[in-house]
Amino acid sequence: MKMEEVSMSSLDNSKLEALAQDILSDLVEDACLGLCFEVHRAVKQGYFFLDDTDQESMRDFEIVDEPGLDVFGQVYNQWKNKECVCPNCSRSIAASRFAPHLEKCLGMGRNSSRIANRRIVTGNNTNNKSESDQEDNDDVNDNDWSYGAEKKAKKRKSDKNPNSPRRSKSFKHKSSTASKASQDNEAHAPPKDSYTASARPVGRGSMLNIAVCFSVPLIL
Amino acid sequence: MFPRFTFNITHITGALTPWCRFTVFAVFFPSDLNTMNKEARLKATINQKLTETGERERLKELLRAKLTECGWKDQMKAQCKEVIKEKGLEHVTVEDLVVEITPKGRALVPDSVKKELLQRIRAFLTQHAS
Repeated sequence: MKMEEVSMSSLDNSKLEALAQDILSDLVEDACLGLCFEVHRAVKQGYFFLDDTDQESMRDFEIVDEPGLDVFGQVYNQWKNKECVCPNCSRSIAASRFAPHLEKCLGMGRNSSRIANRRIVTGNNTNNKSESDQEDNDDVNDNDWSYGAEKKAKKRKSDKNPNSPRRSKSFKHKSSTASKASQDNEAHAPPKDSYTASARPVGRGSMLNIAVCFSVPLIL
Repeated sequence: MFPRFTFNITHITGALTPWCRFTVFAVFFPSDLNTMNKEARLKATINQKLTETGERERLKELLRAKLTECGWKDQMKAQCKEVIKEKGLEHVTVEDLVVEITPKGRALVPDSVKKELLQRIRAFLTQHAS
């Protein structure tokens, strides 16, 4: 007789309750054993007592929630952190311009590395220059210190070039359409020997020939 | 002549906890299972069903979650700390912890958790009784 063949239909309430209690006790036992293994492992690995803290040390490291103080209870200056000192050239730079300045100062970006290479080349060529002159040269190359150059560049971009390719395209398009129109007019024009007078092209640069027709009464 | 007995070995593999895998070889001697107690067979069948359907694992997870939620685990850890301090950090063994902690653990399980689990187990038993 196999284990699966045992029917559970003959269970009455008392047996069912006993079985349920038995299963529950097994589950609780499992949970207790699991905890014991977990704790023992933590003890042997050495991380069981890591979360132990005494109340005095907890008071020392409490989060401070007072006006004018940060979470550590230290007074902080709001304006102090709006300026940064460059670690390379030791200048005080506005926080908003610090990243672009650092890129150029350390010579790690695309353009800045080219500038840095140029500086090295010029430095090798002209050894008789003093350090102050070189610093001045650096300042010229560094856009962080010359706001005028950027503004000029922006202005240049905003100015529209009259000889732009788009304009030329549109002109070509217009002229081609105009020539087509003139050809159509010539095709539909009346014969030359009739009483018509063709006027000269009117308007500057106009490609259309305007034909003015006069109706002359015939006297017999 | 010696009486001839046949051995019927059933291989049961289960998981006590995620940390402790065990294999039990149950040897029934003699092989005729009719001599075995009906209740024991019934219990074995139910346990098999619980394992096969995955209900045992679900119940374990539910129990763990509920016990952690109600603070049972923290209480037990505090008890463990006392045992460890008593026995010494280097000399404490799993057996020491099990002997000291398991009875307290059983006693500290809240009635609400017990009721909920019993309800789930009863539902499972009635479902598979047909």
